[in-house]
Amino acid sequence: MTLDPAVEAPARAAKARAGEPRSGQATGARRRLPPRHHLANLAAAIVVSALVLYVAFFGAGPLPALGPAFNPTTGAWTMAADAQVTDRTISVGPFGGGLQQPVKVVLEKDGTAHIAAGTDHDLFFATGYVHAKFRLFQMDLMRRQGAGRLSEIVGSAALDSDRFELQLGLLRTAWAEWNALAQDDPVKDALTAYSEGVNARISEAEVHSQLDPMFTLLGYKPAAWRPVDSLLIKGDMTQTLNFTDTPLLMAQLNKSLGADLTSEWFPILPPNQQSPYDPGPYPPAKTAPIESMRAVTDAEAQSASALYEKLASLPSGLIATGGASNNWAVAGAKSMSGGAMMAGDPHLHLTLPAIWFQMTQDSPGFHVSGVSIPGTPGVLIGHNQHIAWSLTDAQNQQTFFYEEKQDAAHPNQYMWNGAWQTFKTVAYDIPVLHGQTQHLTVKLTVHGPVISDRGITTSVWWAGNLPSQDLGVLFHIGQASNFKEFRDALRDWYSPTHNFVYADDQGNIGLISAGYFPLVAKGQPWLPMPGTGEYDVTGTIPYDQIPQAYDPPSNILWSANQRQVTNDYPYYIGTAANFFDNGYRANEIHRVLSQPGKLSPDDMMALQTDTRDFLASEIVPVLLQSLDGQQLDAKESAARDLLKSWDYRMEAGSPAAAIWDYFWGWYMDETFHPWWKSRAVPVDMQEVIDMLGQDLEIWTLSDPANRVFTAPGVGARTAVDAQRTAFHRVIKDMAHLLGGDPKSWTWGRVHTRVLENLAQISGLSYGPRADRGDANTPLAAGGFPSTHGPSWRMVVDWGAHIFEGVYPGGQSENPASSWYADRIDTWWQGRLKPMLTADEATSSDGASTRTWTLQP
Amino acid sequence: MRIAAALLTGIIIALMGVLLGAWWTPFVVGVALGLVVRRPIVAIPLGAISGFFSWMLPLAGQEVRYDLGPTTLSLAEIMGFGHAGSLPVILTLAVGTLLGLTGAWLACAARLVVPAPR
Repeated sequence: MTLDPAVEAPARAAKARAGEPRSGQATGARRRLPPRHHLANLAAAIVVSALVLYVAFFGAGPLPALGPAFNPTTGAWTMAADAQVTDRTISVGPFGGGLQQPVKVVLEKDGTAHIAAGTDHDLFFATGYVHAKFRLFQMDLMRRQGAGRLSEIVGSAALDSDRFELQLGLLRTAWAEWNALAQDDPVKDALTAYSEGVNARISEAEVHSQLDPMFTLLGYKPAAWRPVDSLLIKGDMTQTLNFTDTPLLMAQLNKSLGADLTSEWFPILPPNQQSPYDPGPYPPAKTAPIESMRAVTDAEAQSASALYEKLASLPSGLIATGGASNNWAVAGAKSMSGGAMMAGDPHLHLTLPAIWFQMTQDSPGFHVSGVSIPGTPGVLIGHNQHIAWSLTDAQNQQTFFYEEKQDAAHPNQYMWNGAWQTFKTVAYDIPVLHGQTQHLTVKLTVHGPVISDRGITTSVWWAGNLPSQDLGVLFHIGQASNFKEFRDALRDWYSPTHNFVYADDQGNIGLISAGYFPLVAKGQPWLPMPGTGEYDVTGTIPYDQIPQAYDPPSNILWSANQRQVTNDYPYYIGTAANFFDNGYRANEIHRVLSQPGKLSPDDMMALQTDTRDFLASEIVPVLLQSLDGQQLDAKESAARDLLKSWDYRMEAGSPAAAIWDYFWGWYMDETFHPWWKSRAVPVDMQEVIDMLGQDLEIWTLSDPANRVFTAPGVGARTAVDAQRTAFHRVIKDMAHLLGGDPKSWTWGRVHTRVLENLAQISGLSYGPRADRGDANTPLAAGGFPSTHGPSWRMVVDWGAHIFEGVYPGGQSENPASSWYADRIDTWWQGRLKPMLTADEATSSDGASTRTWTLQP
Repeated sequence: MRIAAALLTGIIIALMGVLLGAWWTPFVVGVALGLVVRRPIVAIPLGAISGFFSWMLPLAGQEVRYDLGPTTLSLAEIMGFGHAGSLPVILTLAVGTLLGLTGAWLACAARLVVPAPR
C-alpha cells in the first residue's frame, strides 16, 4: 500500500514504458541493478542513520548517549520535575519494602528534613530514603572513591585514585568493620535499615525515571546500596582528615637541609606560644622518651621522595593537607543566659552540594538535630534534648611509614621480629570506562599495606585502617544526656581523632580529643621507620590520659586544631609540622573568650566570623618599628600609614590586609628561599609554610639575629634587614599588580572564595567572590581562591534555648532546585538560621513546609 | 489528507513511545513513514516533523508544569555550554528531529533500491 498515488502511478508507467521485466517475472533474465545514485543515496542514509543512532545510543567523545540523556520524559530534563517537592504519600512496599510503620517526614521551606518514626529501624530507613532523594549522586561518588571504582564511570583519569584507595584499604576496613558487628548490634540494624531506605529510593527513581541527571549524562545506574558503602564513606572522611604524608616530607627535608636544621625548623614541640586547652597537670608517661633527629640515608630519601611524588599526584582530598576547624564552649557562669553555650564550625572543602545534610531524627531511641553526611545514617554534629556537641580535627599523627627489610634470597618476604614473613596479597579488578579492566595486587604486611615498591619497599600503618565502630559511638553520643555518658561513648572512637566539644543543659562544658593516639615502641615516628619490629605501634595512649577537660575554672574551652597540650605532656602525639595548626586561630579565640564579661550567642556568631589575624597583630608593630627612619617613597609611605591605622582585620575592603598578607609572603620568601635554593630542597616551600611561619614568627619577635636570616649568598643579616627588603619588594610587586594607589589594594581584589561543584563543573560552582578572612583568622579562608572554610556553623545557648546553624549550599544536589545553593547568602553574611523542631517549622511557616508520609 | 493523517498518526505513535521512555520511537515512525509515503521529498520532512514534535511536546509540557529555565541553564553548564541555556533545548529537539528524519530517509532510500513486492 502507498499513501501517495501521485508518486506510484507515474513510476509504474515509467517502468512499463521502459519495458522492464517485473520482479521475478522472467526466469533466468538478468536483473538490472538500481541506478548508482540510488545506491549512493542508500549508502548515505545507512551511514548517517548509523551515526545518529550510534550517538543516540552510545554517545561519542564528550557527548553522552544523546537518546536516553535528553529524552524529555526520562532523561536529564527530569531534573525540572525533581526540583519540585510536594506533599506526598509514598508506599515503599513496591520498592523493596523494609519499613515497619508509617514515617512522617516534614521538609522545611529550605529543605531541612524532620524525620519522625515509630521505631529506630524506621528512622534509619527514612534517613536513607531522604538522603538518597536529595543526594544520591554525591553518595555514589563517595562510595566509589573509597571502593576504588571511579574509573568505571569516568575512565582512566581516575585510575591512580582507584589504585591508591585499594592499596590503602578502605574497602578492606569497611568489610572488616561490617563483619565484626554482632547480629543483634543496633548499628547493624541501622546500617541495614539505612541501606533499605536508600535502595527503596533508587528503585522508585528508576521506575519513575527520576534518577539524578548526572547518572543519565554519565550513562550508568547506581548499584544497590550496601551497609558497607556507608562504612566506606566514613572511611573517606577519615582519610581526608587524617592520612598524612609528613614523614615523607621530613625525610626529604632531613636529607637536603640536614638533621640539625630540620630538627630546629621542624621541631616536635611548637616553637611559638599557642593556647592549649588542656594545660595539665599530666600523669607520667609509660612510653619511650622522644628521640633527637637522626640523619636520613640516600636510599631512604629517594624512596621517600618517590612515594611523596606518587601521593602528591593524587587528586586533592585523598591526603590530609592540614586542618582548620573551630569549636568552643562557654560555661553557664560566663554566659549572659546563665546556661552553657557552644559554638562549632568544622572547616572542610566547600562544595556544592555540601558535605552536610541538615535534619532532625525522632524515634523511641533518638531525638537529635544537626547535620549528617549523606551516605551515613546518623547525625555527626548537633544536639539532643540535653547535650550539644561539635568537633574539630585533633591533628595528632595517625600515619606511620615502615621500610620493609627484604632480601633477594627471600622473595616475597620481609623481615619482622627476627623471622621472614611472607607478604599476604589481595587482588582487585578495576573496571575502566572505555578501557580494559585493570588488575591490581596489593601486598600486606603486619604494619599495613605496601604502598610503594620503588626503592625501599614501604608500608603504611594508618589508624584509619583499624576496624572501629565509630557509627556506634555517634549513636551513643546522640543518646547521651550528660558528660559521663558522652565521654564513655567516645572511649571507642578511633579515627579520625577529633576534639569533641560539649555543652549541656545543666551548664557544664567539656572537651575531649577522642581517638587513637598511637604509641611506638621507640624510634623516630616523624620519619619512615624500619619495619623489622622494634619500632612498631604498640597501642594507644590510655583514654584517661588523652587531652581532655571538663568544667575548667576559666569557664571556657576551645580548639582550633592547635596542639591540645603544653610542652610538658609526656607522650609523643606528632610534630608541630604534622600538622597541628600554627595556633593563631586558637590564640584569637582564646583572646576573645577570655576577655572580662559575659558572652551571648551573638558574641559566638561574631567570633565565628572574626577576621582578626593574630599573627598580624604580633608582627605588624615589629615591621613598623623596623621601617622607622627608613627612606620610603610615596607608595611605601602610604602603605606604611595604612598598616599603622589597621585593626588587623582581614576585611575584603581593607588595603592594609592585602599589604600585610603580601608582606608576610615576601618575608617568608626572603628568609627561606635562599636556603631552599642553596640546599636544593626538593619539597615545595608551600607544603611546610605553616611550620616555617611559626619559626619566623618566633625569631622575629625574640631572636632577630637567628642564623636563618644570614642565608647562604645573602651575607650577614637580621630579621630587621629581611623585613625592610621584603617591604620594598612587596610595594613594588603590588603596584605592578594592583596599580599605583595603595588605598585601592583592597584584600577582596586578590582574595576570593569559591564553592566548588562536586563534579568539577565550574559553571555549577559558586564564585569566585571577594571574601574576607585568611588562613589565620577564625573565619578561615586560606588560599587563592579559598576553597576551604566553615562547612557548618552552629551556635547553642542552653540558657536561652537557642539552637542555630547554617552551612554553605543547600539540601539538594539538583542544580535546578531552589535548594541547591539557597543557604549561601545567609552563610556568607555570617548569619545563622534557627534549628527548628518539626512542630516549630510547621507552626511558624506551615504553608511552606512539605510533608511526606512513607508507608510500608 | 492522507499525508496529514499519516503525519498525525506518526506524531501520536512517536509521542506515546517517547512518553513511555522509548526515546527511539521517532526513528521507527520515520521508517514507517518512509515506507508508506513513497516520495522522499514528502516522507523525509514528515519523519523529521514527527520526530521534532514527539520530543518537543513533552518538553513543552515540562516547561508549562515546572519552568525549565533553571534546568536549561544547569544542563548547559554541565555540558560545557556555559550560560547558553537554549543550546540543550536545541540539542534535544535536534536529536528528536534527526531520529525521525534519518528513519524516513533510510526507508525511502531502501525503497528506491529494493523494489516493492508485487
